Amino acid sequence: MTAMRLTVNGVQREIDVDPRTLLVHAIREQVGLTGTHVGCLTGDCGACTVVLDGRTAKSCSVLALSADGSAVDTVESLADGDDLHPVQQAFWDEFAFQCGFCLPGMLLTAKELLESTPDPDDAQVLAALNGNLCRCTGYNTIVSAVRKASGCATTCVKESPCRKS
Amino acid sequence: MAAPTLPDSAIGGSARKRDGAALLTGRARFVDDHQPDGALHAHVVRSTVAHGRILSIDTAAAEAVPGVVLVLTGKRAAESAGPVPYFIDPAARGGNRTDIRCLQVDEVVFVGQPVAAVVAATRQQAQEAAALVAVEYEVLPHVLDAEEALLPDAPRLYPDWPGNVVMHNRYGTGDTDAALAAADVVVSGELRIGRSTTSPIEPRGYLASWNAAEGKLTVHASCQNPHQMRWMLATSLGLDEGDIRIVTAKVGGSFGLKMQGHPEETLVALLSILTGSPVKWIEDRRETLMAGARQQVHRFTVGATADGRITALVNNIVADVGALTAQAGWAMPNMSATTLPSGYLVPDCRIELDIVVTNKPPVNAARGFGKDAAHFVMERAVDVVARELGLDPAEVRRRNFIPADRFPYRTSTGLNIDSGDFVGLLDKVCDTVDYAGIRRRQAELRPLGRYLGIGLGFELTPESSDSPGTFVSGFDTTTVRMSVTGMVTVLTGVTSPGGGNDTGIAQIVATEMGVPIEWVELVQGDTDRCPNGFGNFSGRSMVVGGGSATLAARDVRDKLALLGSRMLAVPVDRVEVADGVVRVVDDHERALAVPDVARALLTRAFAIADGIEPVLESTRAYKPGNIDHVPDQFGRIQPYPTYSSSLHAVVVDVDVETGKVVLLDYVMAHDCGTMINPALVEGQARGAVAMGLGSALSEQLVFGEDGALLSDRFKTYLLPRAGDVPELRMVHQVTPSPFTMHGNKGAGEAGVGGAQAAVANAVEDALAPFGVAVRGVPLTPPVVLGLIDEAAAR
Repeated sequence: MTAMRLTVNGVQREIDVDPRTLLVHAIREQVGLTGTHVGCLTGDCGACTVVLDGRTAKSCSVLALSADGSAVDTVESLADGDDLHPVQQAFWDEFAFQCGFCLPGMLLTAKELLESTPDPDDAQVLAALNGNLCRCTGYNTIVSAVRKASGCATTCVKESPCRKS
Repeated sequence: MAAPTLPDSAIGGSARKRDGAALLTGRARFVDDHQPDGALHAHVVRSTVAHGRILSIDTAAAEAVPGVVLVLTGKRAAESAGPVPYFIDPAARGGNRTDIRCLQVDEVVFVGQPVAAVVAATRQQAQEAAALVAVEYEVLPHVLDAEEALLPDAPRLYPDWPGNVVMHNRYGTGDTDAALAAADVVVSGELRIGRSTTSPIEPRGYLASWNAAEGKLTVHASCQNPHQMRWMLATSLGLDEGDIRIVTAKVGGSFGLKMQGHPEETLVALLSILTGSPVKWIEDRRETLMAGARQQVHRFTVGATADGRITALVNNIVADVGALTAQAGWAMPNMSATTLPSGYLVPDCRIELDIVVTNKPPVNAARGFGKDAAHFVMERAVDVVARELGLDPAEVRRRNFIPADRFPYRTSTGLNIDSGDFVGLLDKVCDTVDYAGIRRRQAELRPLGRYLGIGLGFELTPESSDSPGTFVSGFDTTTVRMSVTGMVTVLTGVTSPGGGNDTGIAQIVATEMGVPIEWVELVQGDTDRCPNGFGNFSGRSMVVGGGSATLAARDVRDKLALLGSRMLAVPVDRVEVADGVVRVVDDHERALAVPDVARALLTRAFAIADGIEPVLESTRAYKPGNIDHVPDQFGRIQPYPTYSSSLHAVVVDVDVETGKVVLLDYVMAHDCGTMINPALVEGQARGAVAMGLGSALSEQLVFGEDGALLSDRFKTYLLPRAGDVPELRMVHQVTPSPFTMHGNKGAGEAGVGGAQAAVANAVEDALAPFGVAVRGVPLTPPVVLGLIDEAAAR
């Protein structure tokens, strides 16, 4: 076992990992945050998406040790207590999930898109979501949610803070 | 005056998913999220040959790996666990069976079949040790193709069977030979439906915890049918059902895959019993992708009159179900047969079905449950008739649909369709998609080298099935309980793998009881808490889960009304329960809060409730109508109460240089009767259509000649991604079922077959100038190019 450091959702953590451990397993099992999911372990489905040093990454395709000293934000970081992030709110309002298993990846991917591109066109939305698989919704409502969150995000710039319960 | 707005929480409102906050914030707990102290990890050692005898298994190297607690072989497993009982036993239907074991003892019949299991302290240790288990096989000849498996000298999977056929069945009535002879036109074709799979994003997984001191087993499972699983484990492990608790809380999608009957269910429980520790096994994606959903060859002949009326259908089906499974999947092709001739007036039908085993992994239950194939075939047949006669495919459908005034209508294969308006669906679709406009645009673009096509696909979805003598049950059970504080707990036998029936049932209970939906808590998927039930399949959850919840909620409501009327000193027929109060119908000021009435009944039973049984709880089962298991003069039974229907239109743009099919528009007219929650209904439909589009265009399980799965990850098994799915424009039609509690018909399965059929018809329509004839799905770019080349060569 090897000791390593991670800053997870703003909290510094020291954990011991087997060198073979993937980042997703370290987050889920050593850190104990299970909102990040394992869907394929081949980097294809995106259920394990986290924000790694400011950019989304598929945490199943990162060895935990290679993230030593990094900052990781997971789906658990999105809401502020009971106040949902506008992206979460939009996903709920638009029925943009069913089983919720792909949801952590979808939310973080959508949030990243809207932070870099506050008013994306359809092609940009689809391109951003193409790295995340959903088997329940058929994606239509996810696209709607991103559009809705985009509208909200635009408003947020003017009327910060925008957090609906 | 504006119509009063329906609150989202009422029946017919689009309440948001109740579990939304937990799922959105990552708090929801799926099976892999349970990490009890001391839990061990299991890894399954799988056969590397498609057919062989196990000569020896050397576990020494695996046992020497640090952290390894147990290496279990099939031989040792058989000392402690019996065969896995079938969900639907082929013998009960006159077919051939074999014992399904959690680990194979002597023979293996597909690459990937479990032969041993390793339990270790960590996942990595278990995986490392599993790779060191040395299995020696005597390799036997194998057969991967169902039609080859039917040949007399084909290798046999199960030596005690007369061949490789699980069962042969014939369906239909009438004289097809005479009808074909009298037809003005006879067309025939062959259609191949490729092997696709469900592959929910959460794989299967089980966490079994054996408490040796108490002799009790608890299993957390990603599973659709906890009560059936409890019975299955009791049977295979020789335990009392009362000593087993199955908990299936959050499930990350299932689509039939997670119906019980998989070997690993018994295996993981046995590993926990043998090690005395909690044991967890979470399936790897490669393992998930082994499960087939469908693979069939249909040869059809259709007779029609010169004006396009179909008079006869003959269809020979060869269904490749892979190796036999205790899961329900092997039985799906029966529904392909009986769902023909779908919603069309075809008096004479003869369907011959061979369900065939091959040396591939089993076909598991899948959304559509074989009905999808019936629609693919029937909709192709209708289009072939239209083309042969030079008629428009929409018009041929219109001429052949069962008219709306003919329901209930018994089909040639025996289904008694309760209600519907199929022409109504067709009109809605053609209007919405602008059928005539697309035809004009198609004509304009063809000279420019762009090939647009429009395809229609009708889908009749029998829902909420009951198969006598099996655990495919057409009823379910719900308990509604009000506490002394007025809070309502609903315990139901149906489960929700994501579709949201928990929300729908809460809407029903809140509406029926007249209390705010926030007062209603729902408990599903726990055999220690919920009444005996059958879980989730066949679009049943709102039909029978909702129906039984209605009955139970009304009982409790009536009790509240009775006591409330006494406390208000008015006759019971003058009170109602609504908005959380018991009130006088024509004087809403005279009202008592429901919690006050509940508390009065449960704390002052002797003081004010003379003659009223002081219990605010009811357990009710709901059996819908229309199911009929008494065989008629043709031996036909009628296993479904109700039939949803939908009509799909898709507009495609086919690139004849690359073979790529781009979907420009998709319209679905959908009729599932009364919608309890329209947004959730739409969600189900969108998901099913996307799944159908995948199997129509990109998804295919591919095996090597050695029987090993080649498409074993999402890089090679191509699920639709966001950019592949057009915006599905949905139009609703509501023809309430006369045979269900609220007139609802079940939603969730409709979409797979309709999408496959519409896409195939659209591609053929687009490529009509080339004379292309579609022969199956998936229509991947290489397949499309091949069809164009083949047509050019003719």
